[in-house]
Amino acid sequence: MAPLNPYTYIQCPCSDSASLGRPTDLTSPTSADGDEDNTFDPRAPRANFSLYPLEYLLYCEDCHQIRCPRCIAEEIATYYCPSCLFEVPSSNLKSEGNRCTRSCFQCPICIGPLSVTSIETPPPSSTLLSPDHAATPHSTYSLICSYCNWSSTEIGIQFDKPNGIHAQLAKLRNGGASRLTAKERKERRKELSHRGGEAAVAAAAAVAANESSGGQDVDLETQFANLKLFCNSQLADPSAADNGFSSLGDLGFSSPSSLSRIMNLYTGGKLHDPRAKSKLGAMREALAADEGLLESNLNESSLITRLHQSDFLDTASSTQICSQPPNLGEPHLHGASRFNSSLRPVPYLLRTKRSKRCPVCRHIISKPEAKVQTTRFRIRLVAGSYIPSISIRRLNLPGPNGPAAPAILGDLLDPLKPVHFLLTFKNPIFESLKVTLGAPATTPGRFPSKVTVLCPQFDIDANTDVWDEALKDNDRESSSRSRRRAGTESQFQVEVGKIWERGRNWVSIVVEVVPASLKLEAGQDVLKEDEDVLEIPMFVRIEWEVENGGDDATSGPGRDKDQKEKRELAYWCVLGLGRIKQG
Amino acid sequence: MSSKRHSILPAVSAGPKPPVRFSSSITIADSALLTGTNLITISTESVIHPRAKLDSLAGCITIGRRCVVHERTTLGAIGTSGKVTEQAVTLGDYVTVEVAASIEAGNTIIGEGTTVGVGARIGAGAFIGKHCTLTPHTEIRAGEVVPDFTVVYSNGMRRMDKRGVADLKNKGQARQIDVLRRMIPSNPAKFT
Repeated sequence: MAPLNPYTYIQCPCSDSASLGRPTDLTSPTSADGDEDNTFDPRAPRANFSLYPLEYLLYCEDCHQIRCPRCIAEEIATYYCPSCLFEVPSSNLKSEGNRCTRSCFQCPICIGPLSVTSIETPPPSSTLLSPDHAATPHSTYSLICSYCNWSSTEIGIQFDKPNGIHAQLAKLRNGGASRLTAKERKERRKELSHRGGEAAVAAAAAVAANESSGGQDVDLETQFANLKLFCNSQLADPSAADNGFSSLGDLGFSSPSSLSRIMNLYTGGKLHDPRAKSKLGAMREALAADEGLLESNLNESSLITRLHQSDFLDTASSTQICSQPPNLGEPHLHGASRFNSSLRPVPYLLRTKRSKRCPVCRHIISKPEAKVQTTRFRIRLVAGSYIPSISIRRLNLPGPNGPAAPAILGDLLDPLKPVHFLLTFKNPIFESLKVTLGAPATTPGRFPSKVTVLCPQFDIDANTDVWDEALKDNDRESSSRSRRRAGTESQFQVEVGKIWERGRNWVSIVVEVVPASLKLEAGQDVLKEDEDVLEIPMFVRIEWEVENGGDDATSGPGRDKDQKEKRELAYWCVLGLGRIKQG
Repeated sequence: MSSKRHSILPAVSAGPKPPVRFSSSITIADSALLTGTNLITISTESVIHPRAKLDSLAGCITIGRRCVVHERTTLGAIGTSGKVTEQAVTLGDYVTVEVAASIEAGNTIIGEGTTVGVGARIGAGAFIGKHCTLTPHTEIRAGEVVPDFTVVYSNGMRRMDKRGVADLKNKGQARQIDVLRRMIPSNPAKFT
């Protein structure tokens, strides 16, 4: 079993604590606090979503409240490419998509970055003896992964220029053939209609088209263009397409005219528009490949034989296929390949820098530097500089049998044997804090452990300048040691209501815990995952006073400037202390 | 070089000085470590970096032409089997063994033009084909056969290298050796 390091999670108050509490009529006894109806239960399924380490939390200075990643409004400051660190304006993003359109590509096999290298095509006369003047006037370029040695020549793609790879790649199909341009497509269609002119029936034309263009080789773009052209022609001139099918089509349930008739029945003729109806009634569906019809090819035997012949490692994984950018130049329905050998280089996905706002007061809590190259923040109000941090240490007291064994991190806790933990609260702010702790007498859950916070109320001194304190304390080095609550003789005794030790801006207190026995009684379920972890919910309430001045002065003009304002913050946190020994 | 040792580890026992057969054009650093009892052969223009360890205790070690053996590599590491064979490790021509790679003894053969990546480990009796690339921290188990032009990457995934740049790579290797020869002071006399 993995050893457990003690941890502290803080519950963000944004989640409703009342709904997280365990109903009081369950087996676990009710919490000791009278005013607090429900104890926060760290094992409740919903608790997982509201507990955060202190480092994850932010703090809104205006609302005086903790803000977690769940209760923060994010807005995107900049988009940039993680490879070339170029900022992409958001207008480009709408037109060109969320991928880098410069020459940044990832290897489709191993996600490594690809680099553009020239392929030296040695002249036929060249031999190994003359290697240095092999640079031919016309050299081509390819993308090469330096990690797994993938090269774009494997999918038959080579580039003429070393720059503008994204634009070049968009024009190329796998195998090196260039994508059809709109003009070429038009020409090809003209050619087809010319050939199929004699055949009056559209079905005959479809056969011809299938034969001439190779059926399934129709790529997504061509198909869409065909379909669009067909629909436009139908809308513009419905009578032209009336070639004997319209009367039949009118009877079909799927035809637009019958649909509109049915709709008219239900809507009471509101949709009735004689002009539209006459137009719709004349429209028919696409019937041929040159009209944008794509027949499904259910015969996948060639693909299956290829799968039989290939190795498992030759097939692309689902993540590899998912990371492929949409490629308009490829057949999309059946031609989409499942093999590594047809994967194309992946342009880098853009990343964002986000600023974070408080959802309540709309103040910015975190704002990164706009420049992509810098990782600094202009504003970042982390909770760690506003609320005290809690660190946990096991305290081993020497018993009557001699000195205590040193505490080992992640040591298992013996059931039903009291153990002491030292909680150290460190004050990050420049005011002294008044801390009040509340913990249920027993931990919630099936195995209630007894918890006693020996000193639930204490003050922590302000976080003053380190050097001030050091210089002040210089002459009374010994007295600073004696700030430890107990004298040397009673040093190792835990007393109720007294703090254990205090320092410049920190205070340690002792918590006594009697871990529950994990013995299962008859009829109980087996031990669930991590049910042996001893977790104490603890309610922390901190109070401090701020001078009513500074930026708050304007808000309260009638108030006395010297008057101090009291602030308080209260939240639940969970202390994970360790695992209880089983059996 | 100062004779003062900075390492806190105990000095490696040099053991017996192995019989060697060096070509006159090799570059071998003074601090390379050659141990064992069997013959170590290093062919033309190969480079042995400082602190590379060649152990011929479990058999002969043969290094081909224009090979580069980097620092802290171990050739002929006695693995779990500890068997003694006639040939412990054979490197073909143009082989690069990168930093901290380890090749176990036991008739292990590495083909021409292969690159063994940083920290890679090759088990005893493995056969690596020609022009393979073993990416850093690859592990090849004992007795495994890696066909020619294979790239072993990301925890044992394999693919074929179809770039067809073997000749170019060999040329690059020759150029690199030219540079290394000027950088590394050679002292073959120490080992003969």
